[in-house]
Amino acid sequence: MTLTDEDIVDRIRSGNRDLYAVIMERYSQKLMRYVLNLVHDDDQAAHIVQDTFIKSYINLSGFDSHKKFSSWIYRIAHNEALNIIKKGRKEVPLLVELEFASEEDLIKSFEEKETSEQVRKYLNALPLIYSEILNLFYLEEKSYQEISDILRIPVGTVAIRLSRAKKLMKNLWTKN
Amino acid sequence: MDQKLKNITDRVMDQIRNDKIKMRPRLYFILGSILTFGGLVSSVVVSMFFVGLIRFTFRSHGPMGSYRLEQILTQFPWWALGLAVVGLICGIWLIRRYDFSFKISFRLLIIGFLLAVLVGGLIVDISGLNDLLLRRGPMRGMMRQYLQENSMDGRPGKIRN
Repeated sequence: MTLTDEDIVDRIRSGNRDLYAVIMERYSQKLMRYVLNLVHDDDQAAHIVQDTFIKSYINLSGFDSHKKFSSWIYRIAHNEALNIIKKGRKEVPLLVELEFASEEDLIKSFEEKETSEQVRKYLNALPLIYSEILNLFYLEEKSYQEISDILRIPVGTVAIRLSRAKKLMKNLWTKN
Repeated sequence: MDQKLKNITDRVMDQIRNDKIKMRPRLYFILGSILTFGGLVSSVVVSMFFVGLIRFTFRSHGPMGSYRLEQILTQFPWWALGLAVVGLICGIWLIRRYDFSFKISFRLLIIGFLLAVLVGGLIVDISGLNDLLLRRGPMRGMMRQYLQENSMDGRPGKIRN
């Protein structure tokens, strides 16, 4: 039987420190992909992921094991990435007109034209609040509730922001 | 990329095994909650005193008016104000760092809380509920002792036994 993240965390807190390697194994690639889509730099992303694991370990006693560990560690990665972004990056405003299209069209379009490079290119062109939510929903496959936990915004805001992000993405997609 | 991730795992696990990084004790997180709670309680105390003070300044004319104002200012619980500010800032900072229990805006939460306390304090003052509590309610003994210790009210005989 595979142990859940929360079970592993309980065991680590009880003294089995080596089990933290299992947590790292489960999350290193996921966090790397998530952070890379935020900072767009391999070295910075690696640095952030390492700091995330260190901070996660240091603060493991503060984690409520009745909640989802994945949301908790993504939240830490989100904070770390945002700190780096605030220090260095100036966001380029996106001057696009909104065009309304159905969600089905957008997903279909994604499936038809999808190449990782193109998706990444368009994601990078979006303001961070929209690119991050698309990243979490489509690439990390997080639920509305999980996104709400990670970004610490109400579920309703997640839905609105995601809808706007899709419209912006659709607009970029059709223009190119 | 895989090698990079493996290096990260090795580096972090090495630091953990050699005790270079350690888990913070649970007490640290409990302290965050206590500070926040203490800050909130202090906010209530401070806000109620503020409401009383503001209302008093509006009607402090007449004989001994300025003297009473000075007395109130002297007895103002500045420690509670300090605890409210420090407690709220530190507690929220500690909790916000790695906890995602609170999803609503903290700015709105604090503004809403203070407004609610101020309006509540004003209503209590206008309706005379504080006098009622002082004379008849369950807080009678506690309030009387407090007033006597601090010599805040020169009318101890008005409290019925």
